[in-house]
Amino acid sequence: MSGRARVKARGIARSPSATEVGRTQASPLPTSVDLSNNEASSSNGFLGTSRISTNDKYGISSGDAGSTSMERGVKNKQDFMDLSICTREKLAHVRDCKTGSSGIPVKLVTNLFNLDFPQDWQLYQYHVTYVPDLASRRLRIALLYSHSELSNKAKAFDGAILFLSQKLEEKITELSSETQRGETIKMTITLKRELPSSSPVCIQVFNIIFRKILKKLSMYQIGRNFYNPSEPVEIPQHKLSLWPGFAISVSYFESKLLFSADVSYKVLRNETVLEFMTALCRRTGLTCFTQTCEKQLIGLIVLTRYNNRTYSIDDIDWSVKPTHTFQKRDGTEITYVDYYKQQYDITVSDLNQPMLVSLLKRKRNDNSEARLAHLIPELCFLTGLTDQATSDFQLMKAVAEKTRLPPSGRQQRLARLVDNIQRNTNARFELETWGLHFGSQISLTGRVVPSEKILMQDHICQPVSAADWSKDVRTCKILNARSLNTWLILCSDRTEYVAESFLNCLRRVAGSMGFNVDYPKIIKVQENPAAFVRAVQQYVDPDVQLVMCILPSNQKTYYDSIKKYLSSDCPVPSQCVLARTLNKQGMMMSIATKIAMQMTCKLGGELWAVEIPLKSLMVVGIDVCKDALSKDVMVVGCVASVNPGITRWFSRCILQRTMTDVADCLKVFMTGALNKWYKYNHDLPARIIVYRAGVGDGQLKTLVDYEVPQLLSSVAESSSNTSSRLSVIVVRKKCMPRFFTEMNRTVQNPPIGTVVDSEATRNEWYDFYLISQVACRGTVSPTYYNVIYDDNGLKPDHMQRLTFKLCHLYYNWPGIVSVPAPCQYAHKLTFLVAQSIHKEPSLELANHLFYL
Amino acid sequence: MASGHTPQRPLPDAKPTPRSREPRGTELGAPWDSRGPRPTVRAHECSSVVDGNFEEVPRETAIQFKPPLYRQRYQFVKNLVDQHEPKKVADLGCGDTSLLRLLKVNPCIELLVGVDINEDKLRWRGDSLAPFMGDFLKPRDLNLTIILYHGSVVERDSRLLGFDLITCIELIEHLDSGDLARFPEVVFGYLSPSMIVISTPNSEFNPLFPSVTLRDSDHKFEWTRMEFQTWALYVANRYDYSVEFTGVGEPPAGAENVGYCTQIGIFQKNGGRATEACVSEQHDQHVYKAVFTTSYPSLQQERFFKLVLVNEVSQQVESLRVSHLPRRKEQDGEQGDKPKDIGGSKAPVPCFGPVFTEVEKAKIENSPKPFCVGDKFFVPLQRLLAYPRLNRLCANEEMMRSVIADSIPLSSDGSAVVTDLCNYFDEQFEF
Repeated sequence: MSGRARVKARGIARSPSATEVGRTQASPLPTSVDLSNNEASSSNGFLGTSRISTNDKYGISSGDAGSTSMERGVKNKQDFMDLSICTREKLAHVRDCKTGSSGIPVKLVTNLFNLDFPQDWQLYQYHVTYVPDLASRRLRIALLYSHSELSNKAKAFDGAILFLSQKLEEKITELSSETQRGETIKMTITLKRELPSSSPVCIQVFNIIFRKILKKLSMYQIGRNFYNPSEPVEIPQHKLSLWPGFAISVSYFESKLLFSADVSYKVLRNETVLEFMTALCRRTGLTCFTQTCEKQLIGLIVLTRYNNRTYSIDDIDWSVKPTHTFQKRDGTEITYVDYYKQQYDITVSDLNQPMLVSLLKRKRNDNSEARLAHLIPELCFLTGLTDQATSDFQLMKAVAEKTRLPPSGRQQRLARLVDNIQRNTNARFELETWGLHFGSQISLTGRVVPSEKILMQDHICQPVSAADWSKDVRTCKILNARSLNTWLILCSDRTEYVAESFLNCLRRVAGSMGFNVDYPKIIKVQENPAAFVRAVQQYVDPDVQLVMCILPSNQKTYYDSIKKYLSSDCPVPSQCVLARTLNKQGMMMSIATKIAMQMTCKLGGELWAVEIPLKSLMVVGIDVCKDALSKDVMVVGCVASVNPGITRWFSRCILQRTMTDVADCLKVFMTGALNKWYKYNHDLPARIIVYRAGVGDGQLKTLVDYEVPQLLSSVAESSSNTSSRLSVIVVRKKCMPRFFTEMNRTVQNPPIGTVVDSEATRNEWYDFYLISQVACRGTVSPTYYNVIYDDNGLKPDHMQRLTFKLCHLYYNWPGIVSVPAPCQYAHKLTFLVAQSIHKEPSLELANHLFYL
Repeated sequence: MASGHTPQRPLPDAKPTPRSREPRGTELGAPWDSRGPRPTVRAHECSSVVDGNFEEVPRETAIQFKPPLYRQRYQFVKNLVDQHEPKKVADLGCGDTSLLRLLKVNPCIELLVGVDINEDKLRWRGDSLAPFMGDFLKPRDLNLTIILYHGSVVERDSRLLGFDLITCIELIEHLDSGDLARFPEVVFGYLSPSMIVISTPNSEFNPLFPSVTLRDSDHKFEWTRMEFQTWALYVANRYDYSVEFTGVGEPPAGAENVGYCTQIGIFQKNGGRATEACVSEQHDQHVYKAVFTTSYPSLQQERFFKLVLVNEVSQQVESLRVSHLPRRKEQDGEQGDKPKDIGGSKAPVPCFGPVFTEVEKAKIENSPKPFCVGDKFFVPLQRLLAYPRLNRLCANEEMMRSVIADSIPLSSDGSAVVTDLCNYFDEQFEF
């Protein structure tokens, strides 16, 4: 989502989780999938709303639908790598018990299922060699599979490593097969390892088995998920098809091997590149068509309809037409039109279309020159949603309406999947030959922690619902506001009138919340981004406290250029508002209230607080994402509280090249934050709790090995005597488990404040799930917390409750949010920098929440 | 079950091995087509021995076909299918299903069956015949079902009755004498399709290969042209077929008298097609085991027809809507600092969009025009029906209305599609 949508969203009362839709997914997929940074990279094809599970980071970039599951294991290995980092054993206070006890118990149903197998179940890993050696994996598999010794045995084979659930008679088995051309191939199958069911390798094999099983249910594997094309949901007005499906995985939870499945949707576009180009051409006219077209298309992933491959568009060749010839690999020349006719029986109808150019990926170990492929736009389908699409509120609403499933719908889908697996003879046969049995759905007991009171200036308020307390605090004064005396409003001629009436409204509501807003200087500018920036440059001087821009349209350039100038070149807090938002009838008061709150924060004010029992506690939020323009740049946002009440913040954003550099910039940040704390409190904080978001699969080791030591050393260096105690918690919004409660005979979302710290957690970690958001229509997704370092020694109960409290402190929303406020601030900051500013904001703004 | 007759279909990525005398390329390029350049054959120094254990045959002269011979055979079948447009096609001894994959793109085929005795191979390669994602987005016109059976060609299965074309590519030479004797009775006598294509090696060509007895170790025999034609004529005569002979893999210059490397017989049933009626009278006899079945989405299926029609209507309405939008960009806004000449350096100015014939243009011109009422935009269904792409899908207004009614907003009398004149995307393209 881009800035303009965000501006627009401010006026519309919807939960922050709804504005999350597609946020990290917005930027197009990087051409090469970087496995190590998948959290920060985006899944373009995949729709990631908070209600749709997304384990799929690939989108549909992996077009080799025919390849076997073993190759995809690479991704799984990343998860297993995380599981081998046993952080809990180093934390003495939770070694024996990591569960809390406070709160009201609540019975929960999960999307996890038991997998039963005999006690002595083992997996046998063999290595297979061929003499003479065969290069073709297909041939290797074909030869081995045709052997009677192995037929009817449960097996998984990738061409070299063979897994069996039953031991072969001999340790080394010699087989020989004749190829169809009569060549005799000797195969030697050597037993390498006997693996107990708890081994990570076994889990990998279990995942392969389940992938096989889902394929047997006629589902399509796209990325890591499985989709059913026979029951698509169509959204014709947006040219979208949604395929329902599942994200599945098998892994060890607390003590048991569990199968988890979550409903997910694959977004496919019913639009060819040619149709897209034609529509674009009609809109833009010819003058700037080629440039706009290249800007829109280059970097996108397309799916070719004739061979099911995906390509990235690297260029558009306007000089080549389908009637031109190309040289086939055998050296003969043929026109594109004839080629597609002969090869695929496809008639190319538009002979004037240009060609898309794609740089073909080289195979591993292939040093030959990269080859180019010319693709015909008419035969390429667009995939994934563009920035434009994800910022289209109507479109995203339509998608959300179709894909949002209430808990009961989710439960039904799960039941049907399990039923299908058990009924399908092929699927059941596969399970049985491996000696596995599909067990019951797991239910467990969670706890609902007490709700929080909101502290205003002269009033303590117990909100009716933690989801939204805007009504409860309407008449209360905010904690602390700075008077706004010198400020500017930039607007166009057309919007001058609405700007005036808005200003009146704003001053009225600001007054009632205790925020003094003086009359600003109003500057009229022409309706184009350059004019706005020029006016900002001309009129902003050091005395100006804030600049408000009433934007005539939600074109991204307005927002980006203004934000860029005012965040780094000339650091002054700025507030952009869409003229259209101000035109909404009957909503002026609530819009003005929201904007007044944001303006207060941008000037360094404080809105509300919750009771924090720990004195001298600093909380830190860290988030990481990739820059939208230069994909190899990591944007690291860090936000730390600088007062014991946790209402004032120090925010900094640093751009980095690689993941390991992140650790280094954390040190820079922590030193700065501790200096700030010392300046305000004349002491260092006794405790520091760091919430780290933006962690991808497989990155846990980097965190433990690099980031935690860096944080520790910066804390140690800041003081010569006693240093602050540190805890580091990994925060993940995406996780496999879902929890439902059974109420009045239907399944429902669990209440806000539900904590789960058993059964669905991992034995090797000090982890828990917390539900700190509401989903009005869909299924709520729990947030997953993993405490990887903890000097503070807080009881699990206290750690969980503190985390819950922090979810109340995000000033952009008068209600609870899905992650602790510092994380949400850090996310907001990185998003602004990654999407609009693309450089480090000035440190002069670090004491204000200028990015709200 | 009859004895093995594993048909010989080279795996495309298999390297040529010295014991396999019939050369085949490793190349995966596009298949050759009869309309393209003539396939060539050339002798070359063979120095690429896969592994070091064949020193006894160094530097032999091998014949290499271009495109590879197996591709020439498949292309031959494909051309035949293009020409005769059969609806039901079976490939006996389909091996790794390469030929089926080539044929499945043909729009005329509605039932495609593969039979082979190697079940593992069918299972293993079956997935590659499943519809692609693109097939769901752009469905075929006609239904297509693909079924792979595990079974022997000398056993009768009634599910293979009533076919338009049955191909037996490089199959018969794998049959032992007993099976070969039973083969005509089953395929010609029992299955009795309208057309049968049989290909087999021509042993007269073999002397051109270095030290050859049989081209493949599983071959039970290899026939001369005379032997094959005698057998074929006898079979044709007995089961009332007429037969023509041809082949693929032309001999190199100077050796024209040996004939094609692969000889082919095309058998056509005298008296035309088997009627459906006589098929159903036969007793059901299911001997083969269906290993893999898939059906393709098509416009014959209501769901996909609706999807395509709704999609086409939406696109047409959208394109009409955009052309009705008032062009703002030239009228207001400052133009001074806008670089006007961007893209100017790019040479050709593209022009796309559907190209209509004069007749089509006239038809569109004469149909009711789209119109605006307030901020709503209306496109009469009659107008939509004038566009060839929609006309192809939908014959009349009533049909169009009933299919799209619950997906696309219509005017109160149901005669036009209604949409907002302006939408969110319009602002994105203001310059």
